[in-house]
Amino acid sequence: MVHITGTMVLQVVVSGLLVGGLYALVALGLSLVFGVMRVINIAHGTFLMLGAYVTYWLFALAGLNPFLSILISVPVLFVVGALIQRLFVFRVVNAPELSSLLLTFGISILLANLAMLAWTSDYRSVEFLTGSFIVKNIAISKPRSIAFALALAITAIAFLFLHRTKIGKAIRATSQNREVAEVCGINVRRIDLITFGLGAALAGAGGSLVSVMFAVYPEMGQVYVFKSFLVIVLGGAGNYPGAFFGGLLLGVIEGLSSLFLTAQLTEVVSYVLLVALLLLRPQGLLGGRT
Amino acid sequence: MPSLAKVVLPTGILMAALAVLPMFSSGYHVSFTIQVFMWIALAGSWNIISGLTGYVSFGHVAFFGVGAYTSALLITKAGWHWLPAGLAGCGPAALLALLIGYPCLRLKGPYFAIAMLGLNEVVRALVSYFEGLTGGGSGISLPPINATVPVYYAMGATALAVVVTTYLIINSRFGLRLISIREDEIAAETMGIDTARMKLYAFLISAAFPGIVGGFYAWYASHIEPMGVFPLITTITMIIMCLFGGAGTVLGPVIGATLLSIMQELVWARFLFVHQAIFGALIIGVVLLMPRGILGVARQYFRLPRTV
Amino acid sequence: MPDTAILEIRNATKRFGGVTALNGCSLSVAAGKISGLIGPNGSGKTTLFNCITGLERLHGGQILFKGRRIDGLKPHRIARRGISRTFQVTRVFPQLTAFENLLAVTGTAFDAAHERADELLAFVKLDRLRDEFAGNLSYGQQKLLEFIRVLMTDPELILLDEPAAGVNRTLLNELLDVLTRLRDQGKTILIVEHDMKVVMGLCETIFVLDYGEKIAEGPPSLIQGNERVIEAYFGR
Repeated sequence: MVHITGTMVLQVVVSGLLVGGLYALVALGLSLVFGVMRVINIAHGTFLMLGAYVTYWLFALAGLNPFLSILISVPVLFVVGALIQRLFVFRVVNAPELSSLLLTFGISILLANLAMLAWTSDYRSVEFLTGSFIVKNIAISKPRSIAFALALAITAIAFLFLHRTKIGKAIRATSQNREVAEVCGINVRRIDLITFGLGAALAGAGGSLVSVMFAVYPEMGQVYVFKSFLVIVLGGAGNYPGAFFGGLLLGVIEGLSSLFLTAQLTEVVSYVLLVALLLLRPQGLLGGRT
Repeated sequence: MPSLAKVVLPTGILMAALAVLPMFSSGYHVSFTIQVFMWIALAGSWNIISGLTGYVSFGHVAFFGVGAYTSALLITKAGWHWLPAGLAGCGPAALLALLIGYPCLRLKGPYFAIAMLGLNEVVRALVSYFEGLTGGGSGISLPPINATVPVYYAMGATALAVVVTTYLIINSRFGLRLISIREDEIAAETMGIDTARMKLYAFLISAAFPGIVGGFYAWYASHIEPMGVFPLITTITMIIMCLFGGAGTVLGPVIGATLLSIMQELVWARFLFVHQAIFGALIIGVVLLMPRGILGVARQYFRLPRTV
Repeated sequence: MPDTAILEIRNATKRFGGVTALNGCSLSVAAGKISGLIGPNGSGKTTLFNCITGLERLHGGQILFKGRRIDGLKPHRIARRGISRTFQVTRVFPQLTAFENLLAVTGTAFDAAHERADELLAFVKLDRLRDEFAGNLSYGQQKLLEFIRVLMTDPELILLDEPAAGVNRTLLNELLDVLTRLRDQGKTILIVEHDMKVVMGLCETIFVLDYGEKIAEGPPSLIQGNERVIEAYFGR
């Protein structure tokens, strides 16, 4: 067993916070869609994977700066999301939960396997920026800190959009009470379309940022649905700022558990955490409404 | 109501044919039928929690894998005979179900589905981590089996047990209560049904059978390793087979498992990703176009009792 | 009060975000009578029902049934104490038959339940639709089914959320007959209803809610002339 020093702990906390910003961004997309449509989009992670591939290919084929490619992955994924909503998901918005869960599960499997057929299951990486800033013995990875800053910026833009624009307000109104929103003349189906596109776009942005830190492969998205959900439960109470801190918290917890236990068990720790939270504090984000 | 002769006779003939099949046919047919039995049992198990209560289990393969490891360990480390070892697979599987189900099934909404989505990865990580016991990534090798016919009967009996259990549940008040949860959980709860407890019971039953199937599978396969017994595709296959035949019914999973096993064997077994993509598309298609599955379509043309 | 109260609401408070749905509401329902709960839309009637049956949790106050607190209990526990309800929009189990809808909920022995279910179906003349899926029944029939599903659990207190809405006159008269007979058998009934004729004709006591508070209580004759009630309904 390696001796664990204070610096090492601080190191993983900092790295964890940096990744956590990303988790918050991805979770925001999931919770937006759930809030408005009461649909847990199991394909959310798959959208993240597609976003990562957009960045990878633009980087590999055209040498585009991966951070800049967010400007492309966001609209691309928005269109993909809106299309999938328009083709499939709108049919199950008012159906029992079983239908929407299974449908989005089917979509995620279809898309992930089409990606494998198209791009093989090889691990790919975007080696754009490496190295770290060193601050007081702590290495702060350059790609991670830029990704963190961008995740923060995108989250902030999303907030401004939700609070300042007419569409954003309509989205929040629909998420608070669908019937009332409809009565007030909000075109709920259009809001669904925009929200689902937006959710996918946020996942796509997350994917672009993930690609500079971790490997890109068709199944990379799988864990993110679970992680995003955990972030939402950690944040609690259905408020988006809560989810942001939930994201940071998850990043730190993951970092610490990989330091004190082993990287292999990181997911086990998050899982036990989720189950324990549900056991002890069952009224998490989604429990408040029946 | 279909007459007794109309139902009992064909069923009897089918059962008798399946019982004597190993005496007359090749190893290929026996091993293919074992596969079908396995899928009937797995799809049928998934049906008990998800088809009846509407709570979607995305991680049912975890119970299969846990059963496989249980029986492999009992056979190799404790020297058990494969039959009791395989049956013992249900214990840890049900225990795992209790650990996950108790916190998650008390809550309405997607908690259970999400928890099940993560379960498989977690169990696989744990199995790989405890190398001393499980052999880690390289798995456990069992003594080679010299006869598949006993496995044929064991797997067949398990499949039959799942079907009979489902029939008994659907025809009991317990079954009615499970379906009432699927139909309107709030109404069920307000009418005095302890929905959390009912769901948990259904889940335990639903997890125990894959444990047994996994237990027999370990013996049959002679070698198990984490990637082999915890693949996502197994869960996907259970789900699509059950949905395709008709979720929430007795015969739906049987029909779905049989038809898709045959199609799988004939058409697309050799192309894994195409195969998975087709299953994904099939799930989308079934959910949107025939949510009650083949049996649901059949119901529009023939008068079938609900308890089929 | 001369009657023994079977249900007591004490100072019940419930908020949804910034909206106060129940604002220190107190009332007590007399055993063995039919009482009515009226008030303008959004006055908290359904919220009160939801709190009594455990679907919503109170933020403050207490609910006592037969002298014991039930607030905070799970809905099925409250149901087993002897409170059963219908919903404003019917909530039958669509993919179970009418008969199975009844069997699913009862706590008595399965065989006895079969007989009871058949009795109740005959009672509201749904016996010929016994094996039809509840989802295929008309709205009025679903309402009746939901109503006898309540009786299946043999409750002491029956809460009915707008039983008259969407039911035709003949059916309604039969339903009202049934309610009176149930009362005569010793059941307590609390009704939320918009149809004033129904409420005034049927109820012995009426509670009026406005903005989550009880603003009046009394026999129909007194309520009809009560100024605060008129104000609440028609504005000032």
